[in-house]
Amino acid sequence: MVEKGQTKTFARKFVPRIIKAALLVIVTYLPLYFLSALIEPFQSFFPWYAPATSLFAAVFMIFLVVGVFTSGTIYQYVFGVARTLVTMIFFIYVLNGGIVALAVPIQGASVNIMVDLTVILAMIVLICLLGIGKNVVQAIDFVSAKGETKES
Amino acid sequence: MKYAVRALGWATKILWILIIVFSVTSVYSAMNVRMGFGQPQAFFSSGFLVISVPLFVNNTGLYDLSELNMTVAVMDHNESRLSTSATFVSSIPRGSSIETAHNVSVSLDDITSKLLNYLFNDTVFNLDMSLKLNFAHSIPFKVSKNMTMPWGAPLYNFSIGQVSYNFLNFTHQELVAPISFENHSPYFSVDGFMRVEIYNDNGELLGFSISGLNVPSHSGYKGQMETIVDISKVTGSGEGHFFFETSAFNIGPVVMPYG
Repeated sequence: MVEKGQTKTFARKFVPRIIKAALLVIVTYLPLYFLSALIEPFQSFFPWYAPATSLFAAVFMIFLVVGVFTSGTIYQYVFGVARTLVTMIFFIYVLNGGIVALAVPIQGASVNIMVDLTVILAMIVLICLLGIGKNVVQAIDFVSAKGETKES
Repeated sequence: MKYAVRALGWATKILWILIIVFSVTSVYSAMNVRMGFGQPQAFFSSGFLVISVPLFVNNTGLYDLSELNMTVAVMDHNESRLSTSATFVSSIPRGSSIETAHNVSVSLDDITSKLLNYLFNDTVFNLDMSLKLNFAHSIPFKVSKNMTMPWGAPLYNFSIGQVSYNFLNFTHQELVAPISFENHSPYFSVDGFMRVEIYNDNGELLGFSISGLNVPSHSGYKGQMETIVDISKVTGSGEGHFFFETSAFNIGPVVMPYG
């Protein structure tokens, strides 16, 4: 009877989290998959993109899943900060610090293209910092709420 | 605290959406911008060798292009810089296009010795072209390309053949000098006049003559200069000083030995 009750509690606690984690993984993976498919014809110009994206996707999803499973604890926010940091580092790496330079062969001649994406990278870094700030504020809120519960 | 967290959450979401929309529309717009360089042309004008590079930009994207700056540096085969010039277009609004020619002028006074080389010998000019612009007033973009432009000498293989003399009278005779060259230039024909002054070994002027030239691109010239000279001054050899006055260039004296 007790064993059955424990199994029910476990199922009630973890099954929604597993479903949520699976859905989040799918939702996160889809844009990356479509982006990779979109730039596949140009992949020879961005040889550093594919391995970095695969690594980023793996690390991001691990933190996402772990974050979902640790929800309701302080670690949820720790992994949230880690996820945002990974996102920030990924964009800084993939956008080469904001300066993207390519050599494209056109009609037998090499055309050098340089795009300065510093503004976009700065916006992404700003968003990531906002995300980190949000996680930190949430963590402080969580700790203070727990302290209040203990006191009462 | 909850409101701050909610505000931060919304700010993050809105900024992500803005950045994604801007990135997607920027890529779409960039793919709808057509730009290119045409085939460079070269011609002489008012003492300058002008290399004209046609440029077209057709902006059918969603954002304006601004501060377009095209720079072309001309270098000879030894990589020594002959000239640099820039063309600036302040704005190309979306839905509009520009078609312009970027001219690089090389002063012939600065390179007279080189000019002689370009008139008589084929060579290759290296064009280092770069085009900078601001996309959507926020993303600087630069395209650069190296091109080579073959230069065909208009007086290639200019030479004086075996000089002969025709008897006229006891004081003067006619000096006949066969002259030949090939106009390798794809850009212009050599039409105008060629004046030659014949000097003996002592540097004394024997006589001069003028003949017309009309040599289209990629064709040869074979003619002869007939000059009446004073028999008493003839030494059998000397120098011919050639002066060219054509629609494309004026140059002289070009000194060639004969005999």
